[in-house]
Amino acid sequence: MSTTTLIVIGLVAAALLIWFIAVFNSLVALRVRVQNAWADIEVQLKRRHDLIPNLVGAVQGYMTHERSTLEAVTEARTKAVASSSGTVADRAQAESALSGALSNLFAVAEQYPQLRAVESVQLLQEQLTSTENRIAFARQFYNDEVMKFNTAQATFPRNLFAGVLGFSSATMFATEEPERANVQIKI
Amino acid sequence: MNANTTAAPMIGPRDRESFFEAQRRNRHATWRLSAVSVLATVVMGIPLALTITPLLYAAALIIADIVSIWAPLPSSFWQHANEIARYGMVAIGWLTQGKTANPQALVIGAAVLLLPGAILSLGLWLGVNALFRRAGVGGALLALKAREPNQSELKELQLADVVQEMAIAAGLPAPKIMLIDTPAANAAAIGTSPNDAQIVISRGMLEQLNRDELEGALAHLVASIGNGDLRIAFRVTSVFETCGLLVAVINAPFGRRSRGTLWRIVRYGLFGKKDSETSAQEAAAVAALLTRSAGLETDDIDNFFDTTSRKKSVLRSIRNFLFFPIFFTNMAIKLSLWFFSLSILEPSMALLWRKRKYLADACAVQLTRNPDGLAEALRKLNSDRGPIPGGAWASHLFLVSPAGGDRVNNPKANGAQQQMWAASEASGKSNSSTPASADLPSVMKQISATGSAAMAGDANAMARMMAFRQAAATALGKSVDEMPNLTDIAAAQHGDKAALQRLAEFGNKTKANQPAASDSQESAESSSNFAGFFPSLKRRLKRLDRMGAHVELESDGGKSWIVIAVLAVFLGPFALVALALLLLLIAIMVLASLAFLMVWMAFIHELFVVLLHH
Repeated sequence: MSTTTLIVIGLVAAALLIWFIAVFNSLVALRVRVQNAWADIEVQLKRRHDLIPNLVGAVQGYMTHERSTLEAVTEARTKAVASSSGTVADRAQAESALSGALSNLFAVAEQYPQLRAVESVQLLQEQLTSTENRIAFARQFYNDEVMKFNTAQATFPRNLFAGVLGFSSATMFATEEPERANVQIKI
Repeated sequence: MNANTTAAPMIGPRDRESFFEAQRRNRHATWRLSAVSVLATVVMGIPLALTITPLLYAAALIIADIVSIWAPLPSSFWQHANEIARYGMVAIGWLTQGKTANPQALVIGAAVLLLPGAILSLGLWLGVNALFRRAGVGGALLALKAREPNQSELKELQLADVVQEMAIAAGLPAPKIMLIDTPAANAAAIGTSPNDAQIVISRGMLEQLNRDELEGALAHLVASIGNGDLRIAFRVTSVFETCGLLVAVINAPFGRRSRGTLWRIVRYGLFGKKDSETSAQEAAAVAALLTRSAGLETDDIDNFFDTTSRKKSVLRSIRNFLFFPIFFTNMAIKLSLWFFSLSILEPSMALLWRKRKYLADACAVQLTRNPDGLAEALRKLNSDRGPIPGGAWASHLFLVSPAGGDRVNNPKANGAQQQMWAASEASGKSNSSTPASADLPSVMKQISATGSAAMAGDANAMARMMAFRQAAATALGKSVDEMPNLTDIAAAQHGDKAALQRLAEFGNKTKANQPAASDSQESAESSSNFAGFFPSLKRRLKRLDRMGAHVELESDGGKSWIVIAVLAVFLGPFALVALALLLLLIAIMVLASLAFLMVWMAFIHELFVVLLHH
């Protein structure tokens, strides 16, 4: 073999290696982003778990006839907290059950004008609404990142060795649509 | 079934566009326009460097001459200087007379002519960058009188929450929020980079928007921060600031105003900390620089040579004769700055900035998945915008253009005029059929109608105008006799010279009484620099509509396009000729400045040599 052939082969090998490193690094970066996005969701879920006892305490006095609604919220919260160590799918289910119970509570609270007039309840409700939104947005961000990560792994040349390198597709944080459907909003 | 109708299965409305598509499109446009902007800056830099370089050589020569009075410089220095001059002459000869020269000498000559000016401009630009980056945004916020939101108030808690939500949706650390207590509705993301970015929002905006709209508006700002728009904005303004600084530096030896500007900047650079005094200085310094780059206004050098307003003296004529070339250089610099920034630099940067706005809009839709919120917010803000006090220098960073209203809409002046008219009503009682509390346009209409009636000889109207004059005099803190007399105005219209004289005197007096006000006006004017940096509401709404917002776009039937096309066909050639003439004028000015300065340098140098040998 002549030296020029060797040089060409060397250059091609170097280019391949650089490309390989770049692909690997981009996959790692995407995975880190997914993990980060998941951590963001966890923070917001925790925030919601911490806020619920306050809310229940604040409205209890006004909503004596709605014991079952309040109990449903408390129960859903306990389940959600318990599922913290479970899989993504489990958590998604428990958390969306909690979301359903909460929006039920808000819908019922609409019927108590004196409750809506209390400023501290208003602030609390705003905080909870915001937390719900934050969870929704964190989930949206997480799902976008998961989509990017999974697409990057599944598209052609990368799908050949993504598995070998130890990358596996991430799970989307899906909402349970039936839980949403149960919510009755009385106008 | 016909193959043609089934060939194009389209999902959704025909011209729908996903926000990802819109983002990709605008990102590509950003790249293109950035390249154009850089090119425009370089193109503008060439004539500038050509005019500034000889000034630097002249300064160096004078310093060398002065030094050699006491300590004669070695002859090798003068030899080098001669060589440099010869190379420069080669390039000038090629430029003006088409003289052929060997390429190497030409390249060196071009470098001799361009490099010093280019290096000075680059140095100033770096200085501006370092200065304002170090300064950060703390001072600017104080100038805006911004405060932190109060978390125990529902609306402000909501604001803080919405910003948090949008930051989460974008996967960014949440920027700090500051509130400005002003009824004008607007918001801005200010800072120099995503790290020190802050969102400033007016209380008026908070009052007007509901949660969805607030979400859309803030998503735009958060997305804008995440896209790195602040860096781009910083670069864009730094170019204009450098132009302003250049003019200030050249004007500094000749006038107090430029020295004042320079001093303000230097003082700010040296001692600028986050206290209220220097913060106002920062805003003022930036505004002053931006105004200066605006171009053709009278400057210190013009005043310096302005012989009409002052007494003529021998000393002054000698001085004017000595510094005569500076006048040309200044004109050349200002003309080329004005022309190039107006014709290429500002349009390319404005277009670039508009694309960033569209990009942020598309990203906002991605974050909220609710194009209606942003569309409605934009519509509301656009119908009710006003100047944000202290925010003129940063007006390009706002959500919608804060400088949208015309100059007449200054609420303070309006109020004063209305009050005066109402006051005169109360005292006059002659025209009581008109309602006292009316909005400004109708008041202005009344005033002018009554005025013309008075001119025509209506005694009633005359009495009314006299009452108005009285009220205006008290409002301005003057005696009635100082105010222009209505009979004078009427007489002047009929050609009475004495009356005209009295009116002119009044005009001068009022001007003399207003120097203090000019400073604030200056910063207000600088905001007009950025007027073209905002895409029109209609275009933004149209793009949001394509991404799924439900906006009703009133169509103009495409008539405006026909008008523009006809205008372009008829005026196009004239515009081209005008453009060519302007370019020619600039070329002549630049070359004249070069030639004058060269002669001047030779003259001064000879003067020193003669002085030295005697």
